[in-house]
Amino acid sequence: MKSMKSRRGGNDRGGIRKRGPTRTDRDGDMDMDSGSARAKRTRAEKSALGGRAAGTGVGGRATGISNRAQARTKHRDSDLFERAVYSNNGQANVISGNKKTGGDLEQFSVRGWKSSKAASNRDGGLESLIAFLERRMNSFIKSGPRAKITKSRTEGDTLVAFVRPDLAGHMLRINNNVFAGAHVTVEEYTAATALDQELAAADPVPGSTADTKTKMTTILGKRFFPATKLLDLSKLLDDPDLQAMGIFHNVSTKSKFFPALMKVWELGFKTVAERREAVESVSLAENNLSNISSVTTLAQSFPDIQHLDLSKNNIKNSQAMIGWRWKFRNLVFLDLTENEISSDPTFKDTMLKWYPKLQTLNNVQVRTPEEVAAQKKTPIPVLPPHFIDESQVGENFVRAFFPGYDNDRNSLVSSVYDDQSTFSLNVNTTAPRATQTETAGWGEYIRKSRNLDKISHLSARMSRSFKGIEKIREVFNELPPTRHPDLIAKAEQWLIECHPVPHLPDPTGQSPTGVGGLSLMVHGQLEESIGGKIEIRSFDRTFILGPGNTPGGIRVVSEIFCLRAYGGHEAWSPEIQALSQIPQIAAPVPIPTAAPTPLAVPAAVPGGNVPEGYGLPRPGKSDTQLQQEQMITQMSGKSGMTFEYSEMALAGNGWNVELAWKNFEQLKATNALPPTAFIAPA
Amino acid sequence: MATASEDTLTKVSTEAATEFIKTFYPALGSNRESLSSYYSLEPTTILFNGNRVADGAAVQEIFTNQMSPTYYEVQSYDCQIINKAYPTILPGGGLKPQSEMGVKDMSFLIVVSGFVRYGEGRDQPQRGFSETFVLVPNPSAERARGRKDWLIESQNFRLVV
Repeated sequence: MKSMKSRRGGNDRGGIRKRGPTRTDRDGDMDMDSGSARAKRTRAEKSALGGRAAGTGVGGRATGISNRAQARTKHRDSDLFERAVYSNNGQANVISGNKKTGGDLEQFSVRGWKSSKAASNRDGGLESLIAFLERRMNSFIKSGPRAKITKSRTEGDTLVAFVRPDLAGHMLRINNNVFAGAHVTVEEYTAATALDQELAAADPVPGSTADTKTKMTTILGKRFFPATKLLDLSKLLDDPDLQAMGIFHNVSTKSKFFPALMKVWELGFKTVAERREAVESVSLAENNLSNISSVTTLAQSFPDIQHLDLSKNNIKNSQAMIGWRWKFRNLVFLDLTENEISSDPTFKDTMLKWYPKLQTLNNVQVRTPEEVAAQKKTPIPVLPPHFIDESQVGENFVRAFFPGYDNDRNSLVSSVYDDQSTFSLNVNTTAPRATQTETAGWGEYIRKSRNLDKISHLSARMSRSFKGIEKIREVFNELPPTRHPDLIAKAEQWLIECHPVPHLPDPTGQSPTGVGGLSLMVHGQLEESIGGKIEIRSFDRTFILGPGNTPGGIRVVSEIFCLRAYGGHEAWSPEIQALSQIPQIAAPVPIPTAAPTPLAVPAAVPGGNVPEGYGLPRPGKSDTQLQQEQMITQMSGKSGMTFEYSEMALAGNGWNVELAWKNFEQLKATNALPPTAFIAPA
Repeated sequence: MATASEDTLTKVSTEAATEFIKTFYPALGSNRESLSSYYSLEPTTILFNGNRVADGAAVQEIFTNQMSPTYYEVQSYDCQIINKAYPTILPGGGLKPQSEMGVKDMSFLIVVSGFVRYGEGRDQPQRGFSETFVLVPNPSAERARGRKDWLIESQNFRLVV
């Protein structure tokens, strides 16, 4: 993301700084779509809100204007605010168990500014408030980089400000300072304080927050049906418990009720996974909703639901739902009957476009399961992994590597890296993801990320590449502890491919043409424990393996480790169960502590009786013979024929590769080659 | 061969990787007739979702004749030198002599993470992919414009999201 620039150091280019875009960026790790899609969405939301924010809340009468919605209508031209609003809607980070979701930044809540004179400014006083906070912090700083609010967002009456950790003390010193005639409260922002504030705001009787939470928990309990995985939030207005609480008597508490309810719901679960699995269907029927703004947080608490009932509301058109344009990516069933939107001629097309898995709209089938599946089809069919190993080197490596990475990185590093091994990692912070999940920041990874698209300075490119066993050990020990799924029990969560590569550097320096090895590509997922919460990430890890100075004789020549948000494993489940060349990592075999066998080089294809040292220079072997062996190896790899037939094809064509290949193609096309000409699938 | 410094090696390899990324992916989208020029004449392994493709000409054929419009976006990539003195077999046979080797005689690994949209229009779903390349020096001595210093020796594309 471009936003990397704004975080790089605190030095400003001059006295005048660009507001807005440079500070209100969001964490890339929360992103679902590409930057442009996001911009589009923000624009769309803005226009949707134009003149519409005064819609009804859950309450019914046209009064449910939250502060946030008010602010939106009033200041929608302010880029700063628009982004803040966006991040507020799109960022499901409030109750995520860990306090800091802003990467390496610390978060502070700033309250009280709404009663300042600046609150009547065009942007609600945000611009001047931020300038004030920065000015105050800078007045405490004697030297070093200038203080800066790296990014911010608003939550009702609270400004959540993100600053570098070294500024934390300065932020707290501003507490109780006077800003435009009002005392502002500056506190550390934590999930707990956020909930308290949210509840307090939704609290009909000030000071009864704990009571409100208990009552909300009870109400949710009555409306949750675990057996059918349904959360029935229909007819909230008629709920006697809610009526008794007096939630809907007051404009302000009414609009804050739903977000608070969602947070209470989220608190009821220990893990995100547990929460996600609990509910598949939500009903918001008969709630007098004229748009989704008052219930928009549903999309953060229930991103994966398949059934959504919005029937018997007052939703007029798609603009009234635009905030959910990119939400609910797994929606199969949507009911909007008895809403004006249903009579819009473009209604069906729009909903089909918005929700790629939608099958039933207003109780009518609009897409078959086959059509949904067909969307996923790719022009190039997805086949099982291509796994051409060499004396089980690749397989043994994988078996040893991942348990070693989880349990004993020190021993792992000593067993498969040597002083010539190179390692680097990169984070794809904007990768597509399987579901709209919350993602913790990238912490230690991002500091080491060598995404060449972002890291352009030569010095940084050098310092983020790690060569030699000791440097790699150091990096590995700095990276968070992980847990990978079991290679056999959870085989579907892995995709492991392997093929030979020629001409790697020869550690002995003897072979002028180098040595052969393997390219090993592993895609999968790992778990980390962050603040007591289990975080799942996806990764792609490519290794070049070759002979080396390690106990087992096999080293990692190069390794690139790419991390990204959890993307699931469906993408590689085969569309066609083809005759796989793969000895899928199958029967349980004791896991070796180090890859045992030295690589028999190069690219020998399994199945043939390949003599040791084939294709390798050896005393007494002529250059011609060596070249021929290498040509045979290549011919065999390319054609799938045995070495014997590959040699026949080449020798029969005067060792002209092109002619031999044409010859092979002709024979193959006319079925003139016997089955024995080909290496049998393993 | 003069031994190149680590600075130079890093500069040359990362710039070569960048150049490759900045031309190859756009070519997959809109300059498909040029695709075979990115490949070594005898690549070892080319894979797309587990499908083995013979060579650059076959890749070009598939993309020109069988693929819907495609948009690729590279979101993250990295590279590493595999062999800084790659043994190039010259077109006439025989190894390129040590005396003629320079800093560009390196083979390197590139790993890319990004997304692809198949079909027309921005509304098509974004499919995450991971792709690994090994690039090797171009053995040809031609000095034509647009000559590539490195060619694809192996390639493995996989949809991962």
